Amino acid sequence: MKLKEGIKEKNTVVKCGADLILPFAIVFGLCVIIFGTVSPGGGFQGGVLVASACILLWLGYGYGVTSKALSMELLETNEALGAIAYVLLAACGLFMGVRFCQNVFFDNGNVGDLISAGTITFMSFAVGYKVLTGIGVLLLLMFGMLAGEDDEEEEAE
Amino acid sequence: MKKVIALVSLAALLVAGCFAMNYSYNEVPITYDGSDTSVTDLYKDPKSYDLSEPDGVADIIVKTNLEQTMAANNVAAVVFDYRGFDTIGESFILLASIAGSYAILRSGKKRKEEHADEA
Repeated sequence: MKLKEGIKEKNTVVKCGADLILPFAIVFGLCVIIFGTVSPGGGFQGGVLVASACILLWLGYGYGVTSKALSMELLETNEALGAIAYVLLAACGLFMGVRFCQNVFFDNGNVGDLISAGTITFMSFAVGYKVLTGIGVLLLLMFGMLAGEDDEEEEAE
Repeated sequence: MKKVIALVSLAALLVAGCFAMNYSYNEVPITYDGSDTSVTDLYKDPKSYDLSEPDGVADIIVKTNLEQTMAANNVAAVVFDYRGFDTIGESFILLASIAGSYAILRSGKKRKEEHADEA
């Protein structure tokens, strides 16, 4: 009972730690997504890193604030948008007369430039967007389940 | 009618499969068949394996990646270009997993509400 009260009031140390780490986590995840094609990294990994900011928010402020700050329906819509963007970018190959998913528009800049890899870069962005919103929805669902369990225990007591 | 449709689609699948097998047997170049490699010799002396050049598909990818994709990261090129269909499947599996967890967690919530009503 004591521990639950401590979690509900949110310890100042935990809150300040979450505040401190949150921007760095988001920026690092976005960096991994954006530079996926020129360095070790990629869409999936960066998306999960950005989604981990959700956990930091929950640790610092609890389920009420998190569910108000992040709309689950908006996240789902954006996940669908990411999937559509991936399929459209992959279909660029068909419009250019080569096979599906084949890389096109890659004749700009030197090797190692950010957009030198053509559609691969933008497909990586699309997958990163899709994964970060999708994992965010999953985490919000799990937080909702945990909050429901807490309420049940309180009612029982 | 349903049986006829099922039979026709199965026959079409069979014909397409036979064509694909024939095509991959005749048209696609064999990059590495292992005919020159003796497994027993390799087991006795693993260091005799020729590491100077990659085998098989890796040979094509490593040598022609920069001409075909200009991506500095070979893994990104493989994931988003050579195996783009695979990535589509992976990301749709994420979508399916979210739908599944929605079904499970929502039903638990509803059951809890019903339980509260009964109590």
